[in-house]
Parts: sequence; C-alpha cells; structure tokens
Amino acid sequence: MRRNQSITDLDILAAKIRANVLEICRQRGGYAAQGVALADIAAALYFDEMRPDDDGWFRDRFVLSNGHDAIMTYAALAESGHYKMDDLRTYNADGGWVDQSPIEGQLGFEITAGSLGQGPSQSAGLAWALRQQGSDARVYCLFSDGELQEGNVWEGAMFAAHQKLDNLCYIIDNNDMQASGHAADVMAVEPVPKKFEAFGFKSRRISGTDMGELLDTFDEARATKGKPFAMICDTRLWDGIDCLQKALPMAHYTAKAAVDWDAGAAEITATLAALDAKR
Amino acid sequence: MLLTGPREIDPAPFDDISFDLCSRRKDVVIMSADLSKYCQVVRVKNELPRQHLDVGMAEQNLLSVAAGVAKGGYIPIATCFACYITRRAYDQMMICMGSGSGPGTNQDSGPTNVAIGFTPGIANPARIHHQAAEDLGMVRAIPNANVIDPMDPTDFRAAVNAAVDLPGLTYIRGHRGDTPRLLDPAKFTFELGKTYRLKEGKGIGIISTGHGTQWALEASALLEEQGVGHSLLHVPTLKPVREAEIAEFAFAHNQIVTIENHQIVTGLGSLVTEIVSDVGGGPRITRFGLPNRWAPGGTLPFIRTQLGLDAKTLAKRIAEVAA
Repeated sequence: MRRNQSITDLDILAAKIRANVLEICRQRGGYAAQGVALADIAAALYFDEMRPDDDGWFRDRFVLSNGHDAIMTYAALAESGHYKMDDLRTYNADGGWVDQSPIEGQLGFEITAGSLGQGPSQSAGLAWALRQQGSDARVYCLFSDGELQEGNVWEGAMFAAHQKLDNLCYIIDNNDMQASGHAADVMAVEPVPKKFEAFGFKSRRISGTDMGELLDTFDEARATKGKPFAMICDTRLWDGIDCLQKALPMAHYTAKAAVDWDAGAAEITATLAALDAKR
Repeated sequence: MLLTGPREIDPAPFDDISFDLCSRRKDVVIMSADLSKYCQVVRVKNELPRQHLDVGMAEQNLLSVAAGVAKGGYIPIATCFACYITRRAYDQMMICMGSGSGPGTNQDSGPTNVAIGFTPGIANPARIHHQAAEDLGMVRAIPNANVIDPMDPTDFRAAVNAAVDLPGLTYIRGHRGDTPRLLDPAKFTFELGKTYRLKEGKGIGIISTGHGTQWALEASALLEEQGVGHSLLHVPTLKPVREAEIAEFAFAHNQIVTIENHQIVTGLGSLVTEIVSDVGGGPRITRFGLPNRWAPGGTLPFIRTQLGLDAKTLAKRIAEVAA
C-alpha cells in the first residue's frame, strides 16, 4: 500500500530477514536457500503491501501454500516482533513448537501447507468469502513453480478467475528448482505468465529480488479490477547471498554442515553496511 | 421413536434440509462440484443463490475452496457423491478441512467444515467407480473427524443441523431420492455419538447404521413374524461414538450381527468388533454388508439380492446366526 518508506529501507529489512534465516537454519539445518531468496518478497509483503490492523496484525490475509517456505514468514515476523528469535532458534527441534512446515492456526499460517498445491484453492475460497462479506481485505497466496505441477493449483486458478476475484493475488516463486532438480528438467512449467493469462488472470513476470518492481507490481495487482492477479517472481536459491549461492546452488534442504554459515552472515553484514551508507 | 402406520416417502430430503437451514442460517454456503441437481441442491441454488457455490467438476477444488470459505467466516457444506468426495479428494478432506481443530492441532476449536457424500455404497447403480464402499472407514481414520451415517430424512436433517455448529470436519452420508420416513421427529432427538434402541427384545442383537438400519428394520419385521427374538440398535454416529453404549448392548446378547451399506472392513462392523475386543470376552460378532470385493451394479433391490442383503435373505442369515 506504499507506506512512507524508501526502497532502501525495505532492502535493509530484506537483508535483516536474510540474516534471520541464516541464524535460524544454522542451528540444525532447514530450508535456508528458499528463505534467503524470498526475503525481498517477504519485506515488500509484510512491511509495505499488507495493511496493519488495530490489533497489531494485518487486515489483509497471507496464505502460504508451500510449507517449506515457512522459514520466510518466521524470519520476517521476527523482524516485525511477532516472533522471538529465541523461539525461532528451536525451528525443527524435536519437541519444539516451531514447526518446519507449520499447521493451520499457528501465527502467520492460515493453512496446513505441507501437502503442496492446496494454497491456491484455499486462498481463492477465502477471497470469495471475504468479498461475500463486503470486506475490503485482500488475499495473497505464495506458492512455488514446482507446485504448478499439482492439478489442484489449476482447479483453484480456474475458480478464482471464474469468480473474478480481484481481491486475490497469487505470488509464484519461480525458482526453477524442485526436490529432484530443475523444474525445466523434471516437468516443465513455463511459460508461467501465459498459462495464468489463459486461465483468466492478469499476470506479470518480474524479478523476485527487485524491490521497486515488487512494489510496482503489488500496486498493479491492487488496481486490477474484474480478475485475479498472478505475479510471477523469478528467483534463484540463495539470491542475495552470493557466497552461498556459489557454494550450494542446488540446495533443497540445507543441512547444518552443508554450508559456511559464518561466511553468509558476513556477506549480509557487508550488504547492510552498504545499504546503511546509501540511506 | 419409530413412526407407525403407512410409510411416507420423502422424494428429496436434502432439498428441504438445505433450504430450511440456509433460510435460517445466512452463514451457511452449500457447495457443489457440478452435481447440485444430482445431490438435490435445487431450491438453495435457485432461490438463495448467494448461499450456493459451484466449483465445477473438481472434487479436490471443492474441498480446498470449502476450507478457504470456512477460514473466511462461512460454514461450507460441500456436497458430492460419496465416492468422489472421499476417494478423489481424501488429502484435501484430511489436510485442508480436517487439520485445523481439536487435540494435536493448533486450535482447540477451529473452523467448521462439513462434507456430505450422496449415493454411498450400493445406493449408486454404477459399479466400482461410483460406489463408495469404504468412505466411512476412510473418514473414520482422520483424527478428530465426526462421521455420521443417518438412516432416514429425520436423523439426516438433525445431523446436518448439528454439524454446522461442530468445530472441525464432519462427514455425513446423504440420502437422495425416495427415502422412507422411519423415525418420528416428535420423539427422536439427535445427539452426536448417541446410539438408539429401535427395538428391545431377547435373543440376537442387531447393530446397524445408515441404509443398513432401513434394511435391518425390514428384516426385523420378518424375524418378528417368524418368532425370532432380537433387539435393534441404530448407530448413526460412527465417530465419536459412545463406546459404552455399544459395549452395553453387545454384552447383553450372546450373538451380535452388524448391518451396513459399506464394506464389512473398516466400517460399522469393524467399529463394533474393535469396541467389543477392547473390552474382551464378548459375544461373537457377525458382519453383514458389502464384501471386500467389487459389488455388482444395477438397481438397489437387485444389488441387495445379489449380496444377500434383501429383507428375506437378511432375515434368514440373521436367524441362522441366532440358531
């Protein structure tokens, strides 16, 4: 919604989110590469696009479809003060409550998202219900390009377009990576924007790490009437931390011993210093 | 609590149940997957269109959109054939509708999600693909789910009315088309989990659910003519069930038969066997229902005869066990 802050302010938040991802995942491993790559989307979404309510939460609703990417939400909501880093350091610990892939009802998680491809339909049902109630709340659903291989995604997209849900915005993490390799090799999903256009969406393909483009596209989605919006965000694993991207470009799950966490943290510290100097 | 006198037939139970409920409760949305006419959702669709939502021929979408509608503050009642709403969309039923409420989840009392499966078991004429002979067992395996198999329009109506006030997932088997009115609405009060003694007697104990209770009542009339003593317990709720009521009934008899429009594995017969086995030292339990092999297709009377579930054969089989 364009709060009174600069692109650099949001870039700094994204860098802090990346630092949080590393700090959480270095404890016992996790989906660090995804969380790092999604940090700019998270900063734009949680710190600019979604409108705060009077109770310290959000008027708009965010549905995470891909449970693996929960690390993004944790790291962002730590920066907003909704989660404590001390708690998040127990991510993925036996007996802990910070699930690696959370269950419906945990703060920040509207659905149980570990079974992939079920967010697009649930967010569409949520958007339909909110519109039916006369609510002005918008619904955002993040899912991955790998999930596009699930039939349920396209059933949900067909419903969203048929119902002209212009309060719904899909955010596709188009990282060309799934559990067993590149999506292009496992089961090609491109051209993603054309597929959504064919289903009745307005769509735009952008860089998922360009804050200006992210904000402009959220503006465009909000201004779009009569159809839902799909923003296809091109990302690559570890975007924003070059040394880790070079070290482990094909990461799916990053084990504790798989990367040099200190090197990654040092790069983020340098990034933050450079951004501070720009401000 | 049974009606006496000439038997009345309700030609479209759910059309009235859904219309009356939606007229009273503006927060209820009846959902369809291109089968509204075939699940008898006609008046709501035509007269209360804001409370009807069709997702097209897509059962996974039916249940996942429904779960989203529930999170948006409405109470979805997803309707479809029993075979599709369970088999075709089991993960969506379990994860989207069924993982947000009760012990082991993050919410003691999460959103209400209702699913109704019509033409269950051999109530559908098209064999194999259209016949859900395992739906009760599938949903019974979902933690915290409520599972109800009503016997007639009266307990069907009561179950639907109760379900919209229950947190979490409730699965109900629906009656479609000409359905006999058997329970007296003035004397029957539905409570989730409660069992109902439809006939008190000495001899063999019959435990039944859903269409199985209709069949059991037909057999009961013949057994009475033949002087075969028996009692009859109707169990509309398979989960959560009052185990003590089933155990008390079972242990009051030397022989128990169960009757259901469902495979004799994982449904009512299995439930009763599990309960009695947990106590130990109980009566022998003989399970009547659909075998664990593909049932034939055709009209319901034809299939019942083929499977030995017509009134005459059923009475004979019960009498043989009793002897």
